[in-house]
Amino acid sequence: MNPLPRGRPRPVTALVAANLRRLTRDRVGLFFIVIMPFVSIVFVGMAIGGATGAAGLPVGVVADERDPVAAAVLAELRGHPDLEVVPVDTPDGLRSGVREGALAAGLVIPSGSTRLELVLAQANGSGMAARSAVDVSVGRVAAVLEATRAARAAGAGEAQAAEYVRQAQAEGGRVAVTDVATGGGDPGGFAYTAPANLLLFTFINSMAVAAALVESRRLGMLQRALTAPVPRRSVLFGEVVSRFLVAAAQAVLIMVVSSLAFGVSWGDPFAVAVVVGVFALVATGAAVLVGTLLRSPDQAPAIGPPLGVVLGMLGGCLWPREASGEVINAIGHAFPHAWGMDALLALARPGTGLGAVLPEVAVLTGMAVLLLGGSLIVFDRRTRIT
Amino acid sequence: MTATLTCEGLRKRYGDVTAVEDVGFSIAPGQAYGLLGPNGAGKTTTISILVGLLRPDAGTVLVGGTDLAADPRRAKAAIGYVPQEIALYPELTGRENLRFFGRLFGLPRRALAARIEEVLDLIGLTDRADGRLDTYSGGMRRRINIGAALLHRPAVLILDEPTVGVDPQSRKAILDGLELLVREGMSLLYTSHYMEEVERICDRVAIIDHGRIIAEGTRRELIAMVGTADKVELVLDGDVPAAFAKLRAVEGVVEAARTEDGSVRLIAEGGRYLLPALITAVEGSATVTATQVIEPDLEATFLHLTGASLRD
Repeated sequence: MNPLPRGRPRPVTALVAANLRRLTRDRVGLFFIVIMPFVSIVFVGMAIGGATGAAGLPVGVVADERDPVAAAVLAELRGHPDLEVVPVDTPDGLRSGVREGALAAGLVIPSGSTRLELVLAQANGSGMAARSAVDVSVGRVAAVLEATRAARAAGAGEAQAAEYVRQAQAEGGRVAVTDVATGGGDPGGFAYTAPANLLLFTFINSMAVAAALVESRRLGMLQRALTAPVPRRSVLFGEVVSRFLVAAAQAVLIMVVSSLAFGVSWGDPFAVAVVVGVFALVATGAAVLVGTLLRSPDQAPAIGPPLGVVLGMLGGCLWPREASGEVINAIGHAFPHAWGMDALLALARPGTGLGAVLPEVAVLTGMAVLLLGGSLIVFDRRTRIT
Repeated sequence: MTATLTCEGLRKRYGDVTAVEDVGFSIAPGQAYGLLGPNGAGKTTTISILVGLLRPDAGTVLVGGTDLAADPRRAKAAIGYVPQEIALYPELTGRENLRFFGRLFGLPRRALAARIEEVLDLIGLTDRADGRLDTYSGGMRRRINIGAALLHRPAVLILDEPTVGVDPQSRKAILDGLELLVREGMSLLYTSHYMEEVERICDRVAIIDHGRIIAEGTRRELIAMVGTADKVELVLDGDVPAAFAKLRAVEGVVEAARTEDGSVRLIAEGGRYLLPALITAVEGSATVTATQVIEPDLEATFLHLTGASLRD
């Protein structure tokens, strides 16, 4: 027999490739990973006010178009490619529309005043995007107004007025926008259901794929892999990485599709990646623990997803947390979903970075360490050579 | 020449229960070695120690001269292990399963692709290589199960009951393949409930019972342990006691015993040739209505040594 060329054994690559390929052959599993989260995002999002049907972000405006300032602002807003101006009769109606999610943001322009009132729900990604667009439009109007006033006062001609406009644009902040939150807390619509379902399905599907780990144990695949010339820790690591990649891929898929299809703004990408990564580690730890403790592959889908749903309920992933009450929300914070929601909703607010969610990240990291550490200890004992 | 696999003084206990005790044997390059024993005799425990899944309480395992305990990675690289159960991913194709094991053993991509084709050809599954394993018959899965252990071209192939539940066609394909591997110089350690498989493939056989090797040698040596006498069973109709007395007196009959159902069991040298004389001897007392002659074989040796049938 001719000797074969030998390279370095690749247990992690082998296990990850095999496990991911197995997942792609599981049609039911793929349905729950690729389709089901978006069904949930859409239907629950519509139920709590996410469906708008507008081509741009709908911004409600209460204004008298005969007022020159109002007319100028409306003209700017209507000319903005990302906005769709929706006339609203009263400030109360405007606030109600924003609260229910029918409007991404609202603007009240009192007649004869340059102090405008911006209405948006805190941490609503669509609202933040609308605010940004409104700020630009209002700034342009403010600059023109200031430039005009300056030109008149100085008796300048048309050429000089252009220079005054440039200067006025730099001082546009004199036209103030007052930020008012009508939701009193969490956003509505897709801005809420997207992070909620990210956490829910990342966890549930991680628990569901734990069945594959039970199956590997039952088939004797892990034992057989341990007869290869590879360190045992590599086999353990390969199984963990496989589950982590599934959890992370689930999260990335939801983020990308919800951003593109529903206009959800997730916030600082780095901070979101940290939160989602740590949460995926929590889900991985839970999956490996379940996959190691259970004896039959049929037990995993029977236990894992229901557990994930219960934790999701407590964490505010199935319906808005305002509906759950303080007690449930307090209990929810014993589990990872509530902390994940806190972090992701906070990051959707403009100007929020990793520093604002460090407590949540710390708690999630602790949970990940406990679950992963515990699962690896159990896994190690179950496969130890004695 | 260095033995491909040597084990000495293997002992494994679970509390007060002794799984194996003082087990030792050696397999030369290109030798097929059979390990026979009833259920619970210690075969799987022994194999688990040899492939590194169990740590013995005492004893050593050398694979091509490498101590398994001291350098497990080097030793394991020379072993191909075929477990009793089908340890493969059912959702993957036969080829994908082979690729998985090839990666575990560190075969470079190009060499692995070529080796997979060789193995598929050897196990006769080239045409079905890209079908999912859960669409295979039991025999085809068994063949992939063996193929997965052959990818890295091990020096010794350890097979634990590799043909359980296999159809005759697949069994023949498996045995033909194993014989080919032995001819090419691979060593085998083979356990099976099917005595005829062991008799066909193995050069040497160890019989293990209650965790100890109670006999070891070539097939001829083991059969000789129970002598060369045949067992002859006669079913009689008539005066059985009188006929029994006449049969005991026939020259060549070593032992004789009556059973409750009226038949007589004899141990007789050259019993198969003695039948006419035995039938003639009982004339006048009884009539012989049925006969059976059992020549000594490995099964008889096993029965003689362990007191149990191999398939019990």
